[in-house]
Order: sequence, then C-alpha cells, then structure tokens
Amino acid sequence: MSYGTTIKVPFGPQHPALKEPEYFLFEVDGDIVVKVTPRIGYVHRGVEKAFEQETYLHNLYLAERICGICSHAHSTCYTQTVEGLVPLEIPPRAVYIRLIMAELERLHSHSLWVGIAAHEAGFDTLFMYLWRDREMIMDLMEEISGNRVTHAINTIGGVRRDITGEQATKIKKFMDKFEGNVKEYMKVLETEQTFLKRTKDVGILKPRDAIALCAVGPTLRASGIKSDVRADDPYLAYGEIPFNVITHDGCDIYARTIVRCEEMIESANIIKYALDHMPEGKIKVPPPRTIAPNESVGRVEAPRGELIHYARSNGTNKPERYKVRAPTLGNLASVCQTLIGAHVADIPLILAGIDPCFSCMDRVIITKKGE
Amino acid sequence: MVLHEIFGVFVYPGMALLFGLAFLYEWIDRKFFARVQNRIGPLYTGPSGILQPVADFLKLLSKEDIVPESCEKPIFSVIPIVYATLPLIALFVIPITGSALISFEGDIIFLMFISALITLSVFLAGWSSAGSFSRIGSIRSALQMLSYEIPFGLALIGPAISAHSLSLTKIAQWQAANSSWFLWLQPIGFAVVLISLLAELELVPFDIPEAETEIVAGWLTEYGGRRLALFRLGKDLELVMASTLVASLYLGGAQPLFFIPPVLILIIKSVVVLLLISFVRALFARFRIDQMTSGMWTYLLPLMIVQILLVQLGIGG
Repeated sequence: MSYGTTIKVPFGPQHPALKEPEYFLFEVDGDIVVKVTPRIGYVHRGVEKAFEQETYLHNLYLAERICGICSHAHSTCYTQTVEGLVPLEIPPRAVYIRLIMAELERLHSHSLWVGIAAHEAGFDTLFMYLWRDREMIMDLMEEISGNRVTHAINTIGGVRRDITGEQATKIKKFMDKFEGNVKEYMKVLETEQTFLKRTKDVGILKPRDAIALCAVGPTLRASGIKSDVRADDPYLAYGEIPFNVITHDGCDIYARTIVRCEEMIESANIIKYALDHMPEGKIKVPPPRTIAPNESVGRVEAPRGELIHYARSNGTNKPERYKVRAPTLGNLASVCQTLIGAHVADIPLILAGIDPCFSCMDRVIITKKGE
Repeated sequence: MVLHEIFGVFVYPGMALLFGLAFLYEWIDRKFFARVQNRIGPLYTGPSGILQPVADFLKLLSKEDIVPESCEKPIFSVIPIVYATLPLIALFVIPITGSALISFEGDIIFLMFISALITLSVFLAGWSSAGSFSRIGSIRSALQMLSYEIPFGLALIGPAISAHSLSLTKIAQWQAANSSWFLWLQPIGFAVVLISLLAELELVPFDIPEAETEIVAGWLTEYGGRRLALFRLGKDLELVMASTLVASLYLGGAQPLFFIPPVLILIIKSVVVLLLISFVRALFARFRIDQMTSGMWTYLLPLMIVQILLVQLGIGG
C-alpha cells in the first residue's frame, strides 16, 4: 500500500537499538522504508592523528582501544603491520598464541552478536543463555591474558604471556562443552517459529549487491560469497590449520545468524587443533626502537569482517602516517541498501545484522557552517 | 453491615488483598522468568527478594515528576490513575473468595467492557504524551486490541453458554457443582483465552506496543516517577486479573476442598496460570504487528468459532 507522500523518521544518535551513537534518517512510506541517509562521525576520536604522535610501543595500547569487542583483532593487525615495516619474524609459538586469542575473541564476539540478534527480535531467553556462555569465554581469556576486554597479550615481536599445559586442557574441555551448547542454540534458532518469522526473508542482500557495495565478513558470507581473509590471504598460522569458510545462501538475517553460529563451531575446532599443534619455544623477540622508511599493510579477519591497517615509517620511532579501516565501514553501504523496502519494525534487526561497531569506524567529522 | 462492606472493599477481599496479590504475582513472575532464563532474579529485598516489587513501587513514587512540555496535560495526569483503577474494578467481579464483591447477571460483559477500556486508556496514555515512540506504541496497542478482542470475547462466552449464565460467580459454581472444569470441556477456548490475555497484557510474543528494541518503551516512554509507578501497579493488577479470570472461568474457580479455604485454592490455581504465562513469555520471540494481526484473524478467530459451534452441538458443555 502506498500513501503517496513519505514521512521522515529520525533514528539515533540515541536509540535503544543502537549501542553506539550514529544517525540514520529514514524516509518512510506507510510502514515501508524507501530511503536511508546515514550520517556518521558522532564518535570520531582522532585515532589516526594520535597514532602519528606516539611511539610504536605506545601505539600498541592505542590500537587495542580502537574497539571494545574486537580489541585483539586490532592489536594483531597493528603488530602485523609494524612487524611488516621492520620486517620482523615472530616466533612460531607466539603466532599460535595470537591465533588462539583471536579465535577466542571471535567466539565471544559472535555469541554476543547472536544474543543481540535474539534480543532485537524480542527473544530474551536465548540472549541470556548466549551471554552466560560468553561470560565463560571472557573468563578463559582473562586466565590467559590477565584481562577480560583489552587483553594486551600482543606486543611488537611476539606475545607477552605463554599458554600453559594446564590452561590448554581447560580451554579444550570448555570448547567441547561450548560446541554442544552452540549446536543446541542452533537447533532452537532453526525451529523456533516466532524467530524464523522475524528473520527469514528480512533484510535481503543479494550476492551482486554485496560485492558491489563492498560488504565484508559474515554479512558477505551470508550472501553466499566465500570470502575470508583467513583463507584468502592466510596470516598468523591459518595456512597450517584446516578449517572451512562458512557460507549460506539465504542472504537474510537468518542466514547471518546461522553463519555466525557455524563459525563459532568452526572457531572452537580451530582452537582445539591449534592447542594440539602448538610448537614449543620462545614467545617474543626484541623489536627495534626506530624503523627505517617503509610502507606496510596488515589484513586481519576480525569477527565483523576484513580489517585493514596501513602504516608508513620515516626512520624515527613514530609512524609518519597510520590508517585504520574497520569492517563496519565496509558494511555500512550494504546495510543502507538492505534497509530499503524493510518494515519499520525490522529496522533494528537489520541494522544489528551487520554487527555494527560505529566507534571503530568513525574517522571523519562533518561540520557545517553555523551549526 | 456498612462496616462489613467497607471492610470488604478496602481490606478483604478488596484492595488490600488485591494489592498484596499484585506485588506477590509480580515477584513470582519475575523470579520464575529469571530462573527459566538461567538468571537469579530479585534477591536482596526481603527473603529471596519477595519485597522487590514493593521496593520498586516506593522508589518510583519518590522520583522526580516530569511532565513533557507538549503533552495533553489533563489526560496525561488522569490516565495513570484510570489505568490502575480499571483492573481493580474488574477484580471486584471475579469470585476470588468463592463469591465476588459485586456479582450480577452479566458481569462477564462488564469484564469485557473493562478490558476494552484498559486498552483505550493505554491508547490515550500514549497519544497524550505526544512523543513519537509513544504515538507508535499507542497505535500498535489499538491495532492489537482490534485483533484479540473478538476471540477473547468469544472465549469468555463459551463457558457462559454451557453454564447458562452470564455471571462469573455462577459459571464458577456450575463447574464446582458438575465437578468438571471447562479446561477439559473446552480446551480450545482455554488456549485462545490464554493467547488473547498475553496480547492484552502486552507480554512476549505480543509485547509489540512496548517493544523495547524498536520503540524504547512504547506508550510508556514519556512517563516517569509516580505516574510510572501507577502504571506498574496497574500492570500487576492486570496480571492478577488475567490469572484469576482464567482460574475461575476455566479451572473451576474457588472450589472448597477438604479444610483448605476456597480463596487459597483459587490463588494456587491462578499461580499455575501465572507460571504458564511467564513460561510462554520466556519461550518466544516478538511478532511484528502485521504478523500478529493477521495471525489472530486467520487462526484464533476461526478456532474460537469452531469451539462455540462444538458447544452449541452439545460437545464440551
């Protein structure tokens, strides 16, 4: 049904569906969205300029704090980029420890997201169960690194802490349990009619659009496109570990949920394999203080998708230029496309579907004269 | 005689009992809901947090009173009181102690009228507060009423046809006299009344008018302080109303059993209904408003018509 005229509905910067401030202006015809205008920049923190003013070692802490959820992905990408500038080879054991932390982080980020998706659909019980499991993963990470959120386990040239045999058995034991739990939640998600009604055929992103609009990560894989930095351009030890790139042909919110659930199972297997095949030896090598002029790019598959860091050194102990491209920026254009034709009640679910992390993404602030 | 009636209205089985039940039921609901979700629920106020609803109520009463600039002030102030009073009036006709405070032939119709008025007051509450979220919430609640009201009314009529009475007390007595519950006689009606009450109480999967992640708190968004406290109290009373209504219509009401007083029997039965409601609300996701309306009209209404036909044919009553 069309009413001929459209109404403008503002969404954000403060809204219960958005955990971070960002603004979207919807033009709505009846109950259907016809146009979306995003306005980014509310959480611009000047990260890139700050990178240029501190030493490489200080920047490690800054990189870790770009995102509150995929902090390890950012610090891995940072260390990788800086080690590429030197260039510096890190010990194989450190590579495995970084990888295990990265996969643990993927587990916690994905269980957080599936919980949020259930919450957006009004399914609070599943949200509570998933977040209970997530809490246990955070405890594991705390045991390994000493911190729950900003793990600070990476350092330039390796990692700060080793994983003991005792910890390894504990992690493996928990991974078995967690895998069972995730399979059970998947069974609930696949059969629960109210959830299916809210997520199936909602927020369709066709494979062609997904590529054209530069979607990344689980959003892209849920549109049936096999793309994963871990497999396409193996970093850390991903080249040595067998794993599947999960895809789904649904192109809707349901597909995004299932892709993330299956990725959790895959990550649990990667962790178990990595713990079994972890080489012995040193965990770090000393890095140089200054770095000769060079350029380097680091790519990491963060839980939300491809994360790119770029650095240029100039012979001092500070980078000359540093650039961070967070996965949410890649997904933003696609989500705006996906929202067209959606019901107003589905907006939160579709927006949450890309697992947005706006404060990692904001690099600009647009100011108008007189405002 | 007058003293006795005043005691009846204000203490037992009137307001004091009902407010007590309201807070108790909110606690049972919260605690059970939390346990289903693997949480602990209220814990600190009183033994196992039993006083938490009272504490929340008192806390809200003491909060700052904020009235939005652009709201319809008279309606905005009156509606919370109306909203808390309506379920209380409805509870007066429900035979909680075996006989109701007010009982007359046709009080079922009175009850349906009150339940429609509750939704109307929700609509006015949202509309008068003039916020965009409140407006969407109030429109959604009105739409929701249009879809559940008719199956709900028919579900109340089913037992009335069988018991040849439009009085709740008499329907409850009929079940006691024939020692059969309408739950077994008219199971479809029981299911329908439970589903419609979930919609009336705005609980998952029908919490569409106050969908937290979509429209903040829906029609309640602009309310705070003592107005919100009254709405919360009204909601608790509605919960008592819904569960005691189902208990007396479909579960045999306050039947005397051995030496146990009838009022206790009814409370136990209605707690069972309450647990059923909280369990259902833990199991589902929220529907979209269009899915809810079409679902109600395509499934619930025909089902209820079938039930009434069965009753007319002499099956189940």
